[in-house]
Amino acid sequence: MKLLEVNNLNTSFSIGVGTVQAVRGISFHVDQGESVGIVGESGSGKSVTMLSVMGLLPNYAAITADSIRFDGREMTQLSPRELRAMHGSEIGMIFQDPMTSLNPLFTVESQLTEPLRIHRNMRKAQARARALELLRQVEIPNPEARLKQYPHELSGGLRQRVMIAIAVACGPKMVIADEPTTALDVTIQAQILDLLNHLKQTTQTSIIMITHDLGVIASMCSRILVMYGGTICEEGTAREIFYAPKHPYTWGLLNSIPRINGDPEEKLIPIKGTPPDMLMPPKGCPFAPRCRYCMPVCREYMPPRTVLSDTHAVSCHLMHPKAPKVAREV
Amino acid sequence: MAEPLIQVRNLKMYFPVGTSLFAKRRQLKAVDDVSFDLFPGETFGLVGESGCGKTTVGRTLVRLYKPTDGQILYRGEDIAPLDEKAVMPYRRRMQMIFQDPYASLNPRMTVSSIIGEPMRLQGAVQDEITARVAELVEQVGLKKDHLNRYPHEFSGGQRQRIGIARALAMRPEFIVCDEPISALDVSIQAQVINMLEELQDSLGITYLFVSHDLSMVRHISHRVGVMYLGHMVELASAQELYSNMQHPYTQALMSAVPIADPDLAEQSNRIVLQGDVPQPIDPPAGCPFASRCRHCMKACTEKNPEMREVAPGHWVACHLMN
Repeated sequence: MKLLEVNNLNTSFSIGVGTVQAVRGISFHVDQGESVGIVGESGSGKSVTMLSVMGLLPNYAAITADSIRFDGREMTQLSPRELRAMHGSEIGMIFQDPMTSLNPLFTVESQLTEPLRIHRNMRKAQARARALELLRQVEIPNPEARLKQYPHELSGGLRQRVMIAIAVACGPKMVIADEPTTALDVTIQAQILDLLNHLKQTTQTSIIMITHDLGVIASMCSRILVMYGGTICEEGTAREIFYAPKHPYTWGLLNSIPRINGDPEEKLIPIKGTPPDMLMPPKGCPFAPRCRYCMPVCREYMPPRTVLSDTHAVSCHLMHPKAPKVAREV
Repeated sequence: MAEPLIQVRNLKMYFPVGTSLFAKRRQLKAVDDVSFDLFPGETFGLVGESGCGKTTVGRTLVRLYKPTDGQILYRGEDIAPLDEKAVMPYRRRMQMIFQDPYASLNPRMTVSSIIGEPMRLQGAVQDEITARVAELVEQVGLKKDHLNRYPHEFSGGQRQRIGIARALAMRPEFIVCDEPISALDVSIQAQVINMLEELQDSLGITYLFVSHDLSMVRHISHRVGVMYLGHMVELASAQELYSNMQHPYTQALMSAVPIADPDLAEQSNRIVLQGDVPQPIDPPAGCPFASRCRHCMKACTEKNPEMREVAPGHWVACHLMN
């Protein structure tokens, strides 16, 4: 069952010198209990996509969409008040930096019980009991003492656990995790990924994971969206993206990371050039200026979405029957 | 084997913390008794989690810090006790590339003055500087018309190239690369890594590559040292370390790296460490890793294990090796 369905989402920001077209006409869906990864580089629009869906962007952002349906409701029709009621109760969010996303002036207890008291109308004692239970669920040792502490007294890993506890406090249907482990060390990252996997299995919550780390995506997500220049250039199951990628950008991403189990003598194949300036995005395919298989048509027209299977779709002119046949170099 | 370029012996770098007049002065032991050699033309990778002292080792080697104790033998000369003035001649042979290409370039200087500054400080004349700067921008893949621009006009990858050109200006023998790619996007990281490798091939520079990205360290390094809480716990050739790791911390660290391959990720057995890294302020006696180690024995909490060679060139500091 489709939990979230987004159709033709566009987000732009008017700044002094022009309009930044951060997201350009993307459509996707998330099923119930599914974990979807959005992967892309900085400026590819992956975070803005989810902030647009949540309605968390500042006023100068212009968001248009044909529809954004969450759990059968049309989110574009909701008032700010109704949207706020949804945040934290039906959709939870985990941000990248747990130091700046927790309020330094309030204790863990007051931040953790706030959603429970607002959305679930719990009384103080009841909320406190639930908060303790949540801290145990995210495997924080000595939860009674932790409740009384302030964010600065916790380590990065513990803070991110508190963030996760807040996000799942009201039993949301969907959790959006925006680079949840980027600020953490690798051994702590492993703890947090284990915890998210465990929560997903026990509570059947859908997870949208935004990251630039292909390793994190591979160990967490069953389906992957690859974003570039404000568009989705390829989407598919994890196996399709890692073992049978079709878009030259996906090839480039996979070729530019060394593998922990690969041959260290192997040269990395970087992607030439830099990502496009979204103030003036290229007219055709956003990846055309960096693509080694670029054809004249790529510079003029945005490539259409080619559906390869129920789950796998690519937006690339190379998929046209008359285009030259090229293969990924490995 | 060739003569080592740099021999580090029992290096200690302590920082005082807390300034109470009456309480006993406490010390943050960022680097505590670390020894290793660097050979000419090699890349030595230094890995570990935040706070393990890897950056401090790098900075101390180029004498941005004056070590608390220990020796840094640069071609046999001990540069650890030298004062600022005496260390100056060594500065032209040792350079550094910093982590954050946004913070490490002065926003009010043009690219040509940034790259030329080390030469100016060492007393070169303007004509010489102009010629060398033109040569350097070419070498790092920037264009000549970039020279009169300011850092904010460049992307992260291009800024890192400017930082590398500045480090190359004095034709150094040795460069400390302190997390040079962690602020860059994946597709740009590979560009910078390939460039560092090509520069090493053509100029024979020795690198100390400090990073928390274990797959990248394996890719670029010849030998790798693993640090934990100010101590070197394991040191071996990259191939040996990644295929035959001995220290329990190294094993946990390696298994925690997410593998960019769904099938392998499913099969892998992660050793998930409990708890966090302890504070390096007045650390307890014994092995630094004892509080999180699965194999902790009585000896581990009493005595700090010494580095011993378990195979040729493979050193481990662990009581399990006895």
